[in-house]
Amino acid sequence: MKLVIRDVRLPLAHFELRLDVEITHQVTALFGPSGAGKTSVLDLIAGLRQAPSAYIELDGRVLTDTSARKEVPARDRHIGYVPQDGALFPHLSVRGNLLYGNKGDTSLDRVTGVLEIGHLLDRRIGDLSGGEKQRVALARALLSSPRLLLLDEPLAALDEELKMRVLSYLQRVRDELRVPMLYVSHTTDELRALCDEVLVLDRGLLRGRGEPRELFAAPAGASHDPD
Amino acid sequence: MRTICLVLSLLAAVPASAAELQVFAAASLTDALKEIAPEYEKATGDKLVLNLGASSTLARQIQEGAPADLFLSADEAKMDGLEKRKLLLAGTRKSVLSNTLVVVVPVDSNLKIAGPADLVAVRALALAEPQTVPAGIYAKEYLKSKGLWSKVIDRVVPTENVRAALAAVESGNVDAGIVYKTDAGISKKVRIAYEVPKAESPNISYPFAVLAGSERKEAARKLLHYLHSPPALAVFRKYGFLILE
Amino acid sequence: MMSSEEWQILGLTVRTAGLATLLILPPGLLLAWLLARTRWRGKSLVETLVALPLVMPPVATGLILLKAFGRRGPIGHFLHDTLGLDVVFTWRAVVLAMAVMAFPLLVRSARVAFEGVPHRLEQIARTLGAREGRVFFTITLPLAARGILGGTLLAFARALGEFGATILVAGNIPGRTTTLSLAIYQLVQLGQDEDAFRLLAVSVAVAFAAVWLSEWFLRGRA
Repeated sequence: MKLVIRDVRLPLAHFELRLDVEITHQVTALFGPSGAGKTSVLDLIAGLRQAPSAYIELDGRVLTDTSARKEVPARDRHIGYVPQDGALFPHLSVRGNLLYGNKGDTSLDRVTGVLEIGHLLDRRIGDLSGGEKQRVALARALLSSPRLLLLDEPLAALDEELKMRVLSYLQRVRDELRVPMLYVSHTTDELRALCDEVLVLDRGLLRGRGEPRELFAAPAGASHDPD
Repeated sequence: MRTICLVLSLLAAVPASAAELQVFAAASLTDALKEIAPEYEKATGDKLVLNLGASSTLARQIQEGAPADLFLSADEAKMDGLEKRKLLLAGTRKSVLSNTLVVVVPVDSNLKIAGPADLVAVRALALAEPQTVPAGIYAKEYLKSKGLWSKVIDRVVPTENVRAALAAVESGNVDAGIVYKTDAGISKKVRIAYEVPKAESPNISYPFAVLAGSERKEAARKLLHYLHSPPALAVFRKYGFLILE
Repeated sequence: MMSSEEWQILGLTVRTAGLATLLILPPGLLLAWLLARTRWRGKSLVETLVALPLVMPPVATGLILLKAFGRRGPIGHFLHDTLGLDVVFTWRAVVLAMAVMAFPLLVRSARVAFEGVPHRLEQIARTLGAREGRVFFTITLPLAARGILGGTLLAFARALGEFGATILVAGNIPGRTTTLSLAIYQLVQLGQDEDAFRLLAVSVAVAFAAVWLSEWFLRGRA
C-alpha cells in the first residue's frame, strides 16, 4: 500500500493544515491532540472534503490533484471510513448496513466471522451495544472491499474492557484480512499493539514520525503528545 | 365687536348642511353615477360616497347594518327584500330606469351569435351570478324562456357582478357573456354580438329608495329627487339606460 | 346530515387538493433538497421567491396566475392555442392555485426534514460506493420521511382551505370549481347562513384532522 499526500493546504478554524507525507506501512497511526486536524486529513483522503490545494495518490492512482482540477468522487475511491460514532444507518438492520456497500467480492461470512457479529445480523441498530456498533461499522466498511481503511478514534468512546476487545478485533483485521489502515487517535495506549508507524500531527503540521516504541518511551497510561 | 363679525361671516360662508351621503348602487350604474356625482357635489356641497357592486351583495350589507343612505338596485326583488324588513324610508321607493340585455364577445372574436341558440355552442359564457345578481337573474330568465338554460348551464362561468362578467369577456378568458347594453357601451374591448329584443327580454327595472336607517334623510331625499330629474336622466340616457315612464 | 350537493363539493375539494399536493411533491422535494444540501449563486433569491405565496395576499398571487394562465397570457395562450386546453375558470385553475399556495409550506418542511438527516450518514454512504441518487433514495429520503410526510399533510391542509387565489383564477362555478371555501362564501352571499355554518363545520373538521396528523408526524417520536 502506498499513499502519497502532497501539497496539502487546508485552512481550518485556528490554523492551516499542511501536509506532505508518504505512507507505506500496513497500519499507520495519525496521532495528535484534539483539534490537530486529524479528522480533516481523513476527510480529504476519503474525498469527503476538498482543500484549496492537495495532491492525493493511492497505489499509483491519482485521487485528488487540485492543480489539474482532478477530484475522484468519494464513491469511486474504494476507501473505507469508520467515523468516530460509527454512523450506522438507523433505519436499516445490521445486515442492511453491512451489505450496503458490498458487491460480492468480500464475503459476509468471513468478515462477520472475524469480527464475531454473525449473531447480530437481523438486529436493529438501536438494540446494539457500543462495542457491537463499532464492530458493525468496521465490518460495513470492510465489506465494501476497500483498498484502505480509515478509522477515526474507534476506541475513544469505549470503556477499558471493551477497548481491549475491539483492539483485538482490529488486530485480526490487520492479520487475517490484511487491509491497510490509517488510524487516528489521541491516546497512545493501543498504538503499540496495532500500528507499524506513527505520524504526529499538531496544529496542522507534521511534527514527527517513527515507530511507536521509539516515540512513546513511557508505558501505557499517558494520553498527551510526547512533544 | 370685530371678532363677532368675523365669526359670523365665517359661519355664513359654511353651507347649512355639508352632508356625506353613502350611495349603494348597482355596478351597472358606475359610469353614469361617476359623471353625475361631481356635478351634484359642486351644486350642493354634499359629498357622495359611491359603494358600487352587485345589488345582492349591497342588499345583504344593508341588512347587516351597513350605513347606507340611498340604495339604487338593479332589480325589484332586492328592494322587496329590504322593504319586507322595513329598511326603506316610506314613500321614497320609485323605479326609474330600465336596461337592455346583450350578448357580448371579445372585440377581436369571430364568434357569430345570430340568436340565443348559438350560445349552446359557446365554450365558456360569463354571467353575473345567476342565483343572486340581477343581471344574472335576468339572463337566466331570458334563457329559460327560450328553453336554453339547461343546455347552456354547463358552460356558465358565474361572476361576482355584471362588471366582472364584462371583464371576463374583455380578458378573452371566456368566449361570450351576457351583460347590460350600458356595460357594453363603456368598453372598447368587447363588441355586441346580439341584442335581446325588448319583447323577449324579462322586465328590467332599477328601483331607487332612501333607507330608513339614513342619518341624513333630508340630504338623501334631495339626492333622490335629483336622480329623477331631467339633468340626471339625461346622463343615464346618454349611457344607454331606458327611462321608465 | 349532508346533501348530495355538499358531498360533491367536499369531494371536489379533496380531489383537487390531493392532486395539487401530488403535483408539487417531486419539484418541492427536489428544491428542498437543493436548498438543504447544496450551495449556489442565487440561492437566497430562490428562497425568497418560493416563500412569496406564503406572505403575499392570496388574491395578489391569484392575479399573477390569472394573467399568466389566462387565454391571452404567456402560458395560457400556448395551452389554449396549441393544446386546446383552458386553465382559467376550470378545475385545472383550482389545482393550480392550490399547488402554488401550498408549495412554500411543503418546501419549508421538507427542507427542515432533509437538514435533520445527519450529513455524516450521507457521507459514509458515499464512501461505501453509492451514487447520489442511491444516497438520496436509500439514506436521505427514508430518514427524512416523517418530516416530509408532516409537511405534505400541512401542504394538503393549506390546499383544502385555499380561497383568495382560487376565486380569482378559477371563479366560483358550481360542480366545476366550487370548493368548500368558495361554497361557504357563496352561501353567505345568498344569506343561507345555516348551510354556510354546516359547510364551515365540515371545513374545520377536515382541516383539523389534516393538521393534527401533520403535527403528529412532524413532532412525533424521534
